[in-house]
Amino acid sequence: MSENTTVKDDETKKNDDQTAALIVAQTFIAFSAIYWFLQIESVRELLQLAYG
Amino acid sequence: MPVSFFSAYSRTIAASAVIVLSIWVFYGGLSAAVYPGLLGFFEWSETTWFGVIGKTWGAAFAFIEAIHLIALAVLGGSIIASDGRVLGLVLTDVSARTVIDRTHTLFAWSLAVLLFTGVFMACGVATKIYYLQVFWFKMLALGAGMLFHYFIRKPLYQYDLSELNPVVVKMTAVSSLLVWFLVAAAGRWIGYSG
Amino acid sequence: MNGTWEGMVLNEFVYNIAIWLDDTQWSTLLHESYYMYAWVESTHVLTLMVSLGMLFLIDLRMLGYALPDVPASKLAERLNIPMLIGFTVMFITGILLFYAIPVRTTQSLWFRIKMVLLVACAINAYLFHKRMNESVSSWDNEPRAPSRIRMGALLSLGFWSIIVICGRFIAYDWFDCRPDSAGFIAVLSGCIDGQTRF
Repeated sequence: MSENTTVKDDETKKNDDQTAALIVAQTFIAFSAIYWFLQIESVRELLQLAYG
Repeated sequence: MPVSFFSAYSRTIAASAVIVLSIWVFYGGLSAAVYPGLLGFFEWSETTWFGVIGKTWGAAFAFIEAIHLIALAVLGGSIIASDGRVLGLVLTDVSARTVIDRTHTLFAWSLAVLLFTGVFMACGVATKIYYLQVFWFKMLALGAGMLFHYFIRKPLYQYDLSELNPVVVKMTAVSSLLVWFLVAAAGRWIGYSG
Repeated sequence: MNGTWEGMVLNEFVYNIAIWLDDTQWSTLLHESYYMYAWVESTHVLTLMVSLGMLFLIDLRMLGYALPDVPASKLAERLNIPMLIGFTVMFITGILLFYAIPVRTTQSLWFRIKMVLLVACAINAYLFHKRMNESVSSWDNEPRAPSRIRMGALLSLGFWSIIVICGRFIAYDWFDCRPDSAGFIAVLSGCIDGQTRF
């Protein structure tokens, strides 16, 4: 019984760690994509204003 | 033994809460409320030993900046080697476990040097960077990077990677590379601002 | 002002080349660009993480501080490609940075030290690889390389660290050539009597 509980706890913990990693990784990747897009876009706009 | 939803997903809930809180603090109203109160701290940090040396002795500041860059190279090396290995890009014939475990010490040392030299530099130009949005963005990215490294990436990489969902593992590796690159890029941009 | 006649000729020669580069349209465009110069410089600095990151891992492995249980030759060989990619990017962006501000950079003491050290690093890397390939089979799995190899790794770490420091110092104008520049530093920096461009 106690062995089963340990196995289940390990599995639950692994599941939790993976879900947390997935959520954070998704946020970082989405944030980075938006951030770099806006950066490049703002540079492009400024250059267009400056040089036409 | 039945496990409640909260304890079964404690890390997931904590991580989600930190994300929401960070976005709220940074982009919501809270930062505006806290911001004025921090000026005193930044003014004080310029009067400390670090601040006085950094402000009056240009060569010392530049030298510490260079040490900051050397530590950045080591941090980059440890991240590129370990996350690159997880992504199957470098050291593919060395076990991922070995690369992850052995580069972690290097990461920790280089981060310690980066933080120490970073605090020194920040003290020298404290009242300038206080007004720079990119400085605060870097602090957000740095905080996110450190929390991510120690509370998400490290626990995840402690498992046998072949037993984990490969998509999650690869996304974690990509995020790690992205976040440290973002921290470094934001750091460089502080130099161009103000 | 210059110590020797040969030194004077050489300094005038590089000064004239720098003037010629400075007069090209692309040099001015890059130097005066809103963002391009900053992007090139940021790329140059951030690629440190790839080039020196990989190189320092190899050097620290030889000294026994990084990945001691991975065979030395394997680590050096596998990290060689990302390292060379990094150095290629640094080399290209470095040339562009020089091209954007050629006169001042040519007469920068720090830039001159950096270039000498880059040559020293290249020679050290050649000797390091030669010595490693000759003897690696006998110590490949040892956590620390033999003293000759360790010396090469230490030199590499030291030289590159000074290169980073010099690179950072180029941005500061402490020893820039000025119309009244004189003395030892001015000789080393290659300042020229009566030069009109800075």
